Amino acid sequence: MYVYDEKIGRRKFLKVSAGAAALVGATNLTGCGSANASESQIAANAEGEKKWGREAGKWIPSCCNMCGGQSGILCHVVDGVVTGIEPNSWNPNNYSNISSDFFNGYTEEYGTKDCGALCARGNAGIAQLYDPDRVKKPLKRSNPDKSPGADPKWVEISIEQAVDEIASKMKTLRDKDEAHKLLWISEDHSFTHIQGDFLKLYGSPNYGMHSNLCDVSRKASFKCVMGHDRPLADFKHAKYILLFGWNPLSSIKWVYLPRIVTEGMANGAKLTVVDPYMSHTAAKATEWVSIRPGTDGALALALANVIIREELYDKEFVSKWSVGFEEYAEYVKTKTPEWAEEITSISARTIERIAKELATSGPAIIDTWSGPGQHSNAVQGGRAIACLAALVNGFDRPGTMIVPNKGGNSHQHVYPDEKADAMLKNPRFDELDKFPLGHGSGVYTRYFENILKGDHPYEAKMMMCVFQNPVMSVPASDLVQKAIAKLETFVVVDTMMSETALLADYVIPGTTYFERYDFNTHWVTWPVLGLRQPVVDPLFGQPTEYEFVTMLGRKLGLKEASGNDFFNVGPLSGQRIESLKEWYEDYLSKEIKNGKPGITLAELKELPGAVWVDKKGTEYEKYMKTVADSAIANAWFDGDPAADGTNVYDKPKAEGGKLIGVVVDGKPRVGFGTKSKKVEFVSSWLADKVDANGNRIDSLPVYSPREWQPTEEYPLYFINWKESSHTHSRTQNNALLLEIKPDNPLILHPETAAKYGVKEGSLVEVESKYGKFRQKVSLSKRMHREVIGLQHGFGHIAFGKTAKGRGASDSVLRPLKSDPLSGMALHKEACVKIRRV
Amino acid sequence: MKKDEATALDTKSTAPAEVSRRDLVTKFGVIGATALAATLAGVSLSACASASGATSSSSILKRRYGMVIDVRKCIGCRGCVLACKVENKTPPGVNYNVVLEQAFTVRPNDKPVFQTRPCFHCEKPSCVDVCPASATFKRESDGIVAIDYDRCIGCRYCLTACPYGARTFDFGENYPHTSEGSPFAAVPSPEYGQYRERSAHKSPIGNARKCTFCEHLQDDNGAYDKKAGRWPACARTCPGHAIVFGDLNDPESYPSRLLNERQAIRLKDDMGTEPNVYYLI
Repeated sequence: MYVYDEKIGRRKFLKVSAGAAALVGATNLTGCGSANASESQIAANAEGEKKWGREAGKWIPSCCNMCGGQSGILCHVVDGVVTGIEPNSWNPNNYSNISSDFFNGYTEEYGTKDCGALCARGNAGIAQLYDPDRVKKPLKRSNPDKSPGADPKWVEISIEQAVDEIASKMKTLRDKDEAHKLLWISEDHSFTHIQGDFLKLYGSPNYGMHSNLCDVSRKASFKCVMGHDRPLADFKHAKYILLFGWNPLSSIKWVYLPRIVTEGMANGAKLTVVDPYMSHTAAKATEWVSIRPGTDGALALALANVIIREELYDKEFVSKWSVGFEEYAEYVKTKTPEWAEEITSISARTIERIAKELATSGPAIIDTWSGPGQHSNAVQGGRAIACLAALVNGFDRPGTMIVPNKGGNSHQHVYPDEKADAMLKNPRFDELDKFPLGHGSGVYTRYFENILKGDHPYEAKMMMCVFQNPVMSVPASDLVQKAIAKLETFVVVDTMMSETALLADYVIPGTTYFERYDFNTHWVTWPVLGLRQPVVDPLFGQPTEYEFVTMLGRKLGLKEASGNDFFNVGPLSGQRIESLKEWYEDYLSKEIKNGKPGITLAELKELPGAVWVDKKGTEYEKYMKTVADSAIANAWFDGDPAADGTNVYDKPKAEGGKLIGVVVDGKPRVGFGTKSKKVEFVSSWLADKVDANGNRIDSLPVYSPREWQPTEEYPLYFINWKESSHTHSRTQNNALLLEIKPDNPLILHPETAAKYGVKEGSLVEVESKYGKFRQKVSLSKRMHREVIGLQHGFGHIAFGKTAKGRGASDSVLRPLKSDPLSGMALHKEACVKIRRV
Repeated sequence: MKKDEATALDTKSTAPAEVSRRDLVTKFGVIGATALAATLAGVSLSACASASGATSSSSILKRRYGMVIDVRKCIGCRGCVLACKVENKTPPGVNYNVVLEQAFTVRPNDKPVFQTRPCFHCEKPSCVDVCPASATFKRESDGIVAIDYDRCIGCRYCLTACPYGARTFDFGENYPHTSEGSPFAAVPSPEYGQYRERSAHKSPIGNARKCTFCEHLQDDNGAYDKKAGRWPACARTCPGHAIVFGDLNDPESYPSRLLNERQAIRLKDDMGTEPNVYYLI
């Protein structure tokens, strides 16, 4: 058994034995300060050291949740108080997304060779936990008026009363066969499975999560082209890195990114960043390419034009592993650098040069994120970008975009009873099925749009909102507020009194990541599962989010079809478990026992750093694997089984056979996760579909301009972005983070500013046809001349004393709108005018 | 040296947790090698000796802690700033390190350079000389410039004397989460192993404060241990692994090797302060 060595504050895992104990005793590490007492005039405080030093209390391994990156952390807990947070060197999230890099020099005792890292937000977690403005008690609204600025007149109630009243409203809906009229939205990295189970047993298909505010368009693009919705970039081993509107060095989606990107560059990789704003990533890049917002797809096509014209593409890969190349090559023939120069504002010469550099210095990473991704033309643009990667054999090889193995915990099925099953058959309220490349996280904008419509597809009655602040994070704050105010019952679970919580009928105090369990997977290229565990009890005695759900489930008496009393019986043990915490521990245990790790929660806790890491590690070129012999035995081939290009089906196509592989190099191979099992320059299956607006979809990655273009009245593009100083709109009350980023000034190019008579520090009004806000100006040549913008997340009107009134929110500028293919909220698409005030 | 080795963090030489004092003599006793490394680092050994005052037979054991900061790997995230604040429990306005973000007119498009800036623990610290209370001093054993809060009279001469702005004054402010009523308010700063309770009119409120290279994380022998987390908080947390800390007197330490292999500069070198923090260029 491994123990965490609490005695000496050394974060070393020792196998418990007499020898180890003796070693601890012999190594005196108690002292602090200088080796030579006579020279030091500073006397140490032995008593303080004993009470608070690294030897005192406990070091508990866990996972961060300041953002979705889920880095490993070590929490120092003394007397029930978290006194410090340090990086967890056993967790790959803190080090590398490639296993060979992670295991190089790894030891069980100390973790990775160069130790883990933690970003600014991770270090600031303590201020999140001990924020005095946290919601501490369940609150019930006594003022029915939900108009903007109305005082909710909160009344403190007990958690029992809150659960009673909320469950009773849910029961009323369910009894009337209207369970589907309950909508539920949640943050997407934590406690999602249990909420999904609850809804299934309750009978509502309406579960939405955060992703559709983030990257579902990227998911759709890559899924179409290479068959996986979340490829991860192997920056460390790349020689050319081309990023379209994504910012790994500043937004730091995962804390390993700065390490692997800078090491990749130190190893000779060239980093080119395409972005209207010189992000911190672009500032560290070899080259920043300033582009007009939303025109990235045009650039990608022009790069392809040059690469194909010059015959610099990987002909072998393209001929063996792609479909639609001829048609695509024909299409990009007219997409010349000169054509793209007009659209993107990037000179044709630059495009020509980048194309040649890219195609001649592989392995290359070509990736994109929310910059182009939050535009109305995002999915097709993203496909054009992914096709560029296909041209240079940029998938699943070292130094390219890797298809990750997402093995981890396994969400166990629950089986709803007949009543719930019938209600689950109702269409989703957000009409997700109308978005042909939609994502399971749903379409938030449609939720609110349809609530405002009133009866389409039916009338929503109630909404649960867990750790989401749609008023700040969904485009069109005003409409979101109006929609929420229309609901009969609106419940918010959050740690903070957010702008959204102000509209609630009930606010349930949430927990921070120091106070609860979660599993964290999927952020590196091979199976890894990190444990988040409570390092302190919930500060105010409140239930955790999953305990709250369990309380509701018990109160409603939700059962499975078999009659299993789901929320009372431990899913793994099959025994009745009264304690809410223990029941959930049993629930989690089942997920990992039956998942890839195959261990129990107790066993996971004992692993170094409380993280399970698959020793097999990253696998490359998985598409080359041959189809399993057992499957081949019954397979049906649509041609010569040894001839390249023959498709392999699990049974004859005429009998509804499913494509399971494709013959390449004379062998049946599993191929990519696409419909054709190959990389798709053309996705012919898209031609049969229409988007959410009823328009036909081009099977080629065509460029079409984004819908909202500058006009004479609103001549400027407006964008926003994220920086690692804050996470979305949820850390602006964190006093430590405000030390490094207290405001989000509006950034203008000095030439743009001069045009409008605006100076450094001027207060300006930014206005679109939907709304306006005011903010101070900061001038920088890092901004494209036709564009202005700011860091997203500030401008709270509530949320806490420190956050309130600080900076500006741009959510008012946009309509309640998503892209019609994937349902991605259009956070980046706006045109504005400015005026000095 | 192979590239892999250059990026490897050799903690052993700076972290002799299990190494006895005698082993250290053997290890670092080769004066020639030490002198060579010191010369390569641009600092003569005699300068070290004179700066640190008294010499004795044990002077060959002396460490000279310093940092080599790889500007190419500093991404300006300010993780170091907050790791320091949390480790040392510093109050608002008291920052032991900052990240300088400069746009130079000669660089196109205001392209910034990021530099994390701790205290440089100079060989010839101008802050020490001006202190009228002898409250701040350079330690013989490891070169760390420290402040004795009990002697500091809060005159702030040192703040103005430091050419790098590395010192700040503690005006007694608190964050919401460190204010009275918060469970965290009772957590003392571990600085200098003193664990002082923070309360009005008591040091370090009213004192000058600065980076200590987290000297409270040293063991009895004055050694750090990165793998055990006993390492300056800024270097421990750095996402770009840009801050390389260690003993510049040890020619085999990672920072010494970097200084040998790469080009480095010190800030305001013409001031004669001889910083122990270098920037790779």
